[in-house]
Amino acid sequence: MTTLRPFTCDDLFKFNNVNFDPLTETYGLSFYTQYLAKWPEYFQLAESPSEHIMGYIMGKVEGHMDNWHGHVTALTVSPDYRRLGLAALLMNFLEDISEKKRAYFVDLFVRKSNKVAINMYTNLGYIIYRTILEYYSGDQDEDAYNLATFLSDMRKALSRDVNKKSVIPYTQPITMRELRHQLRHDG
Amino acid sequence: MAHQQQGMDSALFERRLRPVYDNLEVGNNRKALQESEKLLRKHPNLLCARALKGLSLLRLGRYEESHSCLQVVAQEKPIDDSTLQVLSFCYREMEQLDKIVELYQHAVKQNPGNEELLAHLFVSHVRVEDYKAQQAVALQLYKAQPKNAYYFWSVISVVFQGIRGPESAIPEKRKLYLALAQRMVDKHIKEGKMETEQEAFLYLHILKLQNKYKEAWEFLTGELCAKLYPGAPVSMKFELLKELGNWKALNELLQQLLEADRDRWDYYKEYLQSCFELIKSSPTSEGGNQNDTLNSCHTFLLHIIESSERKTRGPYLARLELHKRMRAIQLPAQQLIGDFDELIIEYFALFGDKSCCTHDIALFLPSISMEQRQALANKLLVESGISSTSLPQTKEHMQKHICALQISRMCGVHIELSVDHLLAFYTALKLHYEHGYSSFGTQLLSTEMGPSDPYALLAANVMYDISIREQKSDQLFEALCLLQYVLRNSTSNFHVKLLSLKIYHMFGCMLGAQEMYDYLDIKQIQLDSMGYVHCNLLPLSGRFSGVRNCYDATLKFFTNSYKERLEYIALTYRFCTFSKMEEFMNFKERLTNSLLYVACSVEAQICDLVSCYGNVQQNLTAYVAMSIEPADDRIAWNELSDNRDLEAIIRWDPLHLVDAEADRKESYDQEIEVLQIRSLMLRLFASFIDLYHAPPSAKLAMSNSKAILDTPVEETATIELLRESWTGLHQRLRLMNYKPLSQQFLVNLLPTRLHLLLELSYERFFDDLAQFVLDLYSGASQLAMQCKKISENVAAVMEICVQTITDSNEWNGKDGLWKRRTHQQKVSACLEILSLYAFLLSVLNDKLQASAKTKTKKKPAGDNKSKDMPQIISEKERSQMLQELMRQLKHKLEACDAALRIWKAPTLPRDLSSFMADMSLKPEVEATLIGDVSATFKESHELMITELRNLLKDKIRIVGK
Repeated sequence: MTTLRPFTCDDLFKFNNVNFDPLTETYGLSFYTQYLAKWPEYFQLAESPSEHIMGYIMGKVEGHMDNWHGHVTALTVSPDYRRLGLAALLMNFLEDISEKKRAYFVDLFVRKSNKVAINMYTNLGYIIYRTILEYYSGDQDEDAYNLATFLSDMRKALSRDVNKKSVIPYTQPITMRELRHQLRHDG
Repeated sequence: MAHQQQGMDSALFERRLRPVYDNLEVGNNRKALQESEKLLRKHPNLLCARALKGLSLLRLGRYEESHSCLQVVAQEKPIDDSTLQVLSFCYREMEQLDKIVELYQHAVKQNPGNEELLAHLFVSHVRVEDYKAQQAVALQLYKAQPKNAYYFWSVISVVFQGIRGPESAIPEKRKLYLALAQRMVDKHIKEGKMETEQEAFLYLHILKLQNKYKEAWEFLTGELCAKLYPGAPVSMKFELLKELGNWKALNELLQQLLEADRDRWDYYKEYLQSCFELIKSSPTSEGGNQNDTLNSCHTFLLHIIESSERKTRGPYLARLELHKRMRAIQLPAQQLIGDFDELIIEYFALFGDKSCCTHDIALFLPSISMEQRQALANKLLVESGISSTSLPQTKEHMQKHICALQISRMCGVHIELSVDHLLAFYTALKLHYEHGYSSFGTQLLSTEMGPSDPYALLAANVMYDISIREQKSDQLFEALCLLQYVLRNSTSNFHVKLLSLKIYHMFGCMLGAQEMYDYLDIKQIQLDSMGYVHCNLLPLSGRFSGVRNCYDATLKFFTNSYKERLEYIALTYRFCTFSKMEEFMNFKERLTNSLLYVACSVEAQICDLVSCYGNVQQNLTAYVAMSIEPADDRIAWNELSDNRDLEAIIRWDPLHLVDAEADRKESYDQEIEVLQIRSLMLRLFASFIDLYHAPPSAKLAMSNSKAILDTPVEETATIELLRESWTGLHQRLRLMNYKPLSQQFLVNLLPTRLHLLLELSYERFFDDLAQFVLDLYSGASQLAMQCKKISENVAAVMEICVQTITDSNEWNGKDGLWKRRTHQQKVSACLEILSLYAFLLSVLNDKLQASAKTKTKKKPAGDNKSKDMPQIISEKERSQMLQELMRQLKHKLEACDAALRIWKAPTLPRDLSSFMADMSLKPEVEATLIGDVSATFKESHELMITELRNLLKDKIRIVGK
């Protein structure tokens, strides 16, 4: 039982019950304000009938040509309101907005070790598009490889991508550096 | 000169300037200064280099030099982007925002129609919220470059003149501005130039502000809006239909929406409202229509319930809400929908295994009587199927039991039990926790909370109830150990950390509190909204320099966001996010006026003055760097904002005994009064110092030029004035007769320091000190008498300190924790007073010594005036009196130190070996757990004693010379 509404600045003072969760990061103000200023409709909040914040989704829309897509930056649900289908509701909302903005697909990054999340996104129709290697240091020597984190880049095609071109998975992992390079060229 | 520069190769200069920028970036300001000076020797006319020199000087704290350097650049009226950027950066740093406006005005004048410069000028107006000027510049921009963004910048600037600017209070003006804004957009639409959704939003907003709901509805449902703003929230439709009174259309729209989206509370709420409005507005006053509407509403909800494959809470809660609303206006709810208790029990049977069920049911409890609540609570307990002899068989079953227990507490069932019953209840909760943990809680991820943790949270609340009733710490201490045990099993349970934090504070255990606070990993904006659980409790807690880190972390967040606050708003203009501009402006106000921000700044300054440990000169330098201006009250009292997230701490206290809003207001009011006392004390104290150690002009260079031209006032006037405020404030506060905050429940806020500050001799001490400082300055004949008063006050403070420690040691015999916090607060307050006094004496002594040496040259200004008066006390005599006061203070400080030395660590309640004996704890786990908690208390005490004794040692040193 949920009220969906845009996230407002004032909610930043009240989201502690959600943000105390160890998997939820509390960012600097400029991070939130940038999203609120640039993609206000992509930052939505779920509120309970008792007016507690149950969770929120934070995202954006970007890219050029057939890379124009919605992106989920953060999705979080308070421990008290889990197992109620809230994450699906928020994801639907973001997909819906992305459809309206004529995006080709929605994507998100999740730690490869976070099986719970990957499972959930798979149930929502996302596939693992590719694996991204993130190094703690810039070098690709053996030690760094051991410290590397694997991120799964997950995607779901939207209706505009008729031929589902955006979700043909990679066969090889790519590194964060390669990804950044790609992003720069896609804008 | 600026023109000369234009001709030169800008790429070359950029390369030469690079090292200066680089050094500034990494904070190497000294090197940056050298580099800029080097560059200026070769190219004395290079304005950007001079501006960078100004910035380097500013960063080095050489304000006067920086000021003149920047002024030279500004007078040249620069137009090149890099110089302008550096200058505006400096002005932003110094909060001289109007100077940025001037800067770009000059630049635009020399270079009319330059888009980039105009855009900077626009933003500079945004920073000072000059909407009229914004409008003019936006139009110039649009003329120079016909971009939609600029056009709508001017539109929103007109809107803001109507709703936020100085003329917004005049209704006719407001009307005019809004009409103008609408015409501007109308024209644009007619020309087919509206392009984005935010523009569409702005148009709707303008129409709504003028109550033109019909036009807004037409636009919202029209073709253009559908094209530009497909994501327009459906709530806008609700809002407009409501304003238009079109309840029927709203009702139908919501039925449609609910068919598709069956769990949306916002839809149900609006739907129910539309039903009740339809009844109200129906022409027939007989029951017929009423029944029809409510019947069809009920039927619709039943239809949703019956046709849903997956059970969602939505329609069930809506049905309960319908029940509640019907009862509220004496309609036959039971007849139509059924028995309320039955409905709740059905809801509980369906959703009791979800942890949100408690919040859901709680929504409807206030609508029924106390008797019904308690009866209902018992029914739910029965329904949960757990009795005193049975245990839950599944996790879901357990959650239902938890929910029923939480509801019972909310209904006031527990509060009426006897202590023996409560203890038995506590034991049961503890067993349930342990059973739940071993059955369902051992395979958890480290990021998950234990499913049986809520039992322990409830148990802690119950133990607090007993403690408060018995006024003894035993039970609560046991609860703390239980919570610490839970935390080992469930490392991510923040509720447990928050409750432990509270209990540690209550028992004055700073170390434990700090551990819990660190464990919560509070950062960024949480430092503001959650500062009340720790940071705000640190002043006078028993530590001074030991808590400075926490102030620093908090203040760092605030100063950073203060610096950035205007750039956020500029960002909304850059992205033309009209829907967020007002929100951002209000947010900026809320953040920069946070009570915690102001209080924390004041406390950090007091803390620094108390614990400064250098020689007199070093201490004075530190004091000057604080730039306290006693005559100037810099706190915007009416704008202060309460940003506390008080709901972050979970509670199930009896609903009829909790008034969260009233508690919030009461505590906030008291915190403001505490701030009044603290900030006035700081200013009064600073005025004493300033009388003898006049502030250097460097301080003035930083402040606004207007302030400097104040007419010269008598040096002592500030002291007189502040002293009057000081006694006046105390008089008022005593009359206000504030009650200490209620401590009835565990999650209630701890008492504010207001009563402590009024109880101790702060008022009298600083009042007498003011007279003493004045008499010493003028050499008045009553000085000797005043010295006597002061030394009596000092003796009294010392007595309180020593007596409190004696009391605390005595309390150790019966209960080492219950009064601990109060005792520590009193001792801290005494030491704070004596430390400030010691600092003052050391400064006075230093000045008198210095003037004695240069006596032949010049006397302090105050002497000249009183020269003609009889009986003026000579400087030598004054110096002797001062020496005597220092000698006495040293003696008193030594007495305090002697007391501190024998202050015993708190004895912990009863024999802990029996603790949790009935739990399935392994003995070694139990031993380490209790060992850890006990060690935390002991270590916390030792740290405090060490710090306080070091403080005293240092004060003895500075008055002992």
